[in-house]
Amino acid sequence: MAHRVVGKPIGRLDGIEKVSGEARYSGDVTLPGLVWGKTLRSPLPHARILRIDTSRAKALAGVLAVLTARDLPNILVGRRMFDMPLLARDRVRFIGERVAAVAALDPDIAEEALALIDVEYEDLPAVFDPVEAIKDGAPILHDDPGAYEGAPPERPHPNVQSVLRFKLGDVEAGFREADRVFEHTFRTQLAHQGYLEPHAGVVAIDEDGRVQVWASNKMPFRLKELLSLALQLPPAQIRVNLTPIGGDFGGKGSVMDLPLAYHLARATGRPVKMIMRYTEELMAGNPRHPAVITLRTGVDKDGRIVARRVRALFNSGAYAAFKPAPSVNLGGAGMGAGVYRIPHLLIESFCVYSNNIPCGHARSPGEPQMVFAGESHMDMIARELALDPAELRRRNLLRDGDVLANGHHLEHVRAGDTLEAALKASNWSEPKGPWIGRGAAMTHRHIGVGFTNARVRLETDGTVTLSVALPDTGTGAHLVLRQVVAEVLGLPLDEVEIEVVTTDDFTTDSGVGGSRVTHTGGRAAYHAAEKLREQIGAEAARLGAPATSLAAIAQAAAREGRTLEATHFYDAKAHGSVTSFTAQVAEVSVDPQTGQVTVRRFTTAHDVGTIINPIGHQGQIEGGFVQGLGYALMEEVKTEDGRISTLSLGDVKLPTIQDIPPLTTVILEDPVGPGPFNAKAIGEGSISAVAPAIANAVADACGARILDLPITAEKVYFALRAKAKAQAPSVKERQS
Amino acid sequence: MNAFEYRVPRALDEALTVLREYGEDARVVAGGTALVTMMRQQLVRPGCLVSLRDVQGLDRIEAVNGALRLGALVTHREAEVSPLVRERLPVLAETFRRVATIRIRHMATVGGALAHADPNQDPPVTLLALGARVEIRGAGGRRELSLGEFFCDYYETALVPGELVTAVTVPLLSASSGATFLKFLPRSADDYATVAVAATVALEPDGERCREARIALGSVGVTPLRARVAEALLSGQRLGESVLRAVGEAAKGEVDPLSDHRGSAEYKREMTAVMVGRALTQAWEAARRSARGTL
Amino acid sequence: MTRVIRLTVNGTSHDVEVPTYRTLLDCLRYDLGLTGSKEGCGVGVCGACTVLLDGKMISSCIALAVFADGRAVTTVEGLAEDERLHPVQQAFVDSGGFQCGICTPGQVVSAKALLDAIPNPSDAETREWMLGNLCRCTGYYKIIESIRAAAQRSRP
Repeated sequence: MAHRVVGKPIGRLDGIEKVSGEARYSGDVTLPGLVWGKTLRSPLPHARILRIDTSRAKALAGVLAVLTARDLPNILVGRRMFDMPLLARDRVRFIGERVAAVAALDPDIAEEALALIDVEYEDLPAVFDPVEAIKDGAPILHDDPGAYEGAPPERPHPNVQSVLRFKLGDVEAGFREADRVFEHTFRTQLAHQGYLEPHAGVVAIDEDGRVQVWASNKMPFRLKELLSLALQLPPAQIRVNLTPIGGDFGGKGSVMDLPLAYHLARATGRPVKMIMRYTEELMAGNPRHPAVITLRTGVDKDGRIVARRVRALFNSGAYAAFKPAPSVNLGGAGMGAGVYRIPHLLIESFCVYSNNIPCGHARSPGEPQMVFAGESHMDMIARELALDPAELRRRNLLRDGDVLANGHHLEHVRAGDTLEAALKASNWSEPKGPWIGRGAAMTHRHIGVGFTNARVRLETDGTVTLSVALPDTGTGAHLVLRQVVAEVLGLPLDEVEIEVVTTDDFTTDSGVGGSRVTHTGGRAAYHAAEKLREQIGAEAARLGAPATSLAAIAQAAAREGRTLEATHFYDAKAHGSVTSFTAQVAEVSVDPQTGQVTVRRFTTAHDVGTIINPIGHQGQIEGGFVQGLGYALMEEVKTEDGRISTLSLGDVKLPTIQDIPPLTTVILEDPVGPGPFNAKAIGEGSISAVAPAIANAVADACGARILDLPITAEKVYFALRAKAKAQAPSVKERQS
Repeated sequence: MNAFEYRVPRALDEALTVLREYGEDARVVAGGTALVTMMRQQLVRPGCLVSLRDVQGLDRIEAVNGALRLGALVTHREAEVSPLVRERLPVLAETFRRVATIRIRHMATVGGALAHADPNQDPPVTLLALGARVEIRGAGGRRELSLGEFFCDYYETALVPGELVTAVTVPLLSASSGATFLKFLPRSADDYATVAVAATVALEPDGERCREARIALGSVGVTPLRARVAEALLSGQRLGESVLRAVGEAAKGEVDPLSDHRGSAEYKREMTAVMVGRALTQAWEAARRSARGTL
Repeated sequence: MTRVIRLTVNGTSHDVEVPTYRTLLDCLRYDLGLTGSKEGCGVGVCGACTVLLDGKMISSCIALAVFADGRAVTTVEGLAEDERLHPVQQAFVDSGGFQCGICTPGQVVSAKALLDAIPNPSDAETREWMLGNLCRCTGYYKIIESIRAAAQRSRP
């Protein structure tokens, strides 16, 4: 179906302020009398705090306030499970935990003051590995985690934060039916979301005693609720003023340092700005969980999966506070089933306490870990069965009518089509030279759900203003929403403006994340626009002049003291019948002398709904892919015994412009989504299958199977050496 | 960063005087890319910063007596794009080009890089292979050191307090010579080397056998180093698989790498052999072309 | 210790008193109110803080403000002329060379410097020049397209 505005390749017209430098992010906000806050962080992974002396810090010229836990109410914060103190009270549980906070006239003075705070610690035994953390006798981080608000009830070990299960059939019975059973274990690394804007916020208490907040946070209403709890203030006393966000990728949904900024603002009587240095992000942001994942799969003699059991240990670090799901676990654990029909399935996902940096959500939470494991596992099985990995997948792909472990009955399943499209576009079956390999991997991702308020108003100049309280995290969603409204109202795009309002202007919104904004924001905008269109029609009829301009209609209403305006609250329930498949193929070459992996080209195929903004849509695919590329080959926040050694962004190795391979995108557009004009979602579709596609390609190129990320040249080199040694005839044999 | 004094001398003698005045409490800064980063990370807290930006006469690139002389305040970018360097010592221009990003190269200076003495840096490796010498000025006057004498340890040079690097002099290659610089970057394009090799090969009049070779290595010890045992194996040899293998193995034995984010000590050792072999092959080819006059 | 320095920023001369430890980035952002340049990594790697100092790209987060005394600085705010976007800025809008926008000031300042030096760069030249401008959102493909489009547009 052809639309006028939807689907057109217009540029990112929402970007004038961004390219000109006028866009004001939270760190750019300034207020009269603003002062700077900084936090002192624990140098030890697990210790008792014996004594804190802030006197030297307080005496430094330019320091206005120094706070420790003694100065604050005994409040615990979190997103779902509230287990983290604002400042460590008598115990620190990870290197980087906040111990004190300072406000000073500039950030340099504040940091100098931190160095003058004396803290005496007494070491406690610590545990770092999630496998070790759940053994008998492991050091226990929290004396009674079940007592925390929001704590899930099941706790097989005091260091388990939560358990999440996905179940179908009877997995033990399934294994008994299987002809062959395979088991492999995989590990993934600690990885940061890598947004280039570190957490930033400004808190000011205005003359009415209201708390004004500007923050790099993508769910401002939830932030308001969480701040209300953390600050013990009624929600109406807090206003979150939305600012554009310099990258979120799942990591900007918590209160972070804002409660401290508030207490510093109270203590100093001045607005307080706090910006994390990137070193602090790497020590105490809320990065992607590292994982240890074991898959056990039973197949029949035709390679059809009969049973699968998955056990995932996610190393959650010292606090559960950063996980927002009701389960306090990672929903992506469900991807242990992959894109396959599995009659007997048991996935058990454990989020485990350890004396490490507390982890949170990252783009596609839990999925890149799980899909790396699952899709590598499939290729290893294919090899054992002497089957082409594409063929093994074909025999097991989900079909229309299949039911997932979460109860979704799938329709419009295009798993097979998407796989074939990727294979074709990547020249899967073409001959390859030596040390060149191809690997495939697949994933699927549901459409995000949530709730959004949208209001559209006809202005007296005939333009339309769409108001939303959804922050701009960069995805282009605001432009999409404008396009939706313009399409419904039959207007050119430049006659629809968007206004980003504050938390005072609507009652609620679930915010940005989970690939939901095109769906929830889009439907809210769509239905609000429909309502406005009806009002306009009625108004025009009343005026009796059918060809009247919108401006005239608005002005006529204004003369009677009325504004034509419509609001719609859309609460998207889980659309259980539609998902989106991704199939990817990596083609790599391996340098046998060094193990270096070069991605020669990469193909990504997506089964999507109606595309509203093609340039924005493609941008999401490309950005997600390169994040997956980094995760696969180069990124790591290195940690040992709780100490992070990659303390600068330069050490983490985000991909640069010279690290990207040629990318081929194949789109299968199918207008069956729940979003406006049958759109689906794309934000998290392209990241999760990249690492296994590459791992599978490396194995194809040189026989080295890397079971832990990232796939570095060094790992491939030593794997090749081990392989060569294993295959070399023994000395005894040669001699005989 | 801490509060500090800031002095901007206009001439070298004035700079030396200021340094004498502040002693150990002063740090010299040129481009500041290394120093300011360390100050922001609280690793260095000088009482006084002495900026050389206005000191005259230290930013020339000139040909002098069969060598190139680069003033200490020449930036990496200036060295990289200098027509004189590109023409007379292209391997050196290429090496400067590999350092970090253009932004860093616009600020970081030749002298500053040498004084910083990070064994993971690129230019010292090539300078070492080319036999460069460092000019130093201090209260006691002027002295000169070979790079091998100049680098002592991780972040440590032979400079005594109050001394400054003022220039580096780099001999040109002899006739029938080739040189190459290899930076092994297995992870990301913007990084320090896992292993870096600068190799020069000078051929005998027959244009085939090696008269003299030099192999300098970076990122595999506490300073950049010459693999002299490996070099000696090349005398009189023709380029060939077994020679290269032997030389690579010898070089392996001469390095003492630290495990770091760019690779384990064992991997760096293995890659030393691989990269030495590749660098020598390239340098040999370049020498052959030079000998044949078909450069 | 403070110093009074003179900076010419986007053509306008400013006398500013700064502590010696003030970075050029913080001076631009907080003393002069030019918040277009951003702090990302804080160690000169990511490029979000890129400005031109006497026409040359530098990392302003690791340059002290005092280093720029008496010199000319160009920031993203100085690219547009008479309310019209610079061709590079327009190209980024048309080709979608940004998403969240936090790296974008650094990207467009660097891209402008690239096209000033090399009016019709190859993709290889673009990738070499732009190596130090990290982007986490776009994956770089549309940044390369934007620069290509800007080069084509500017061709006489």
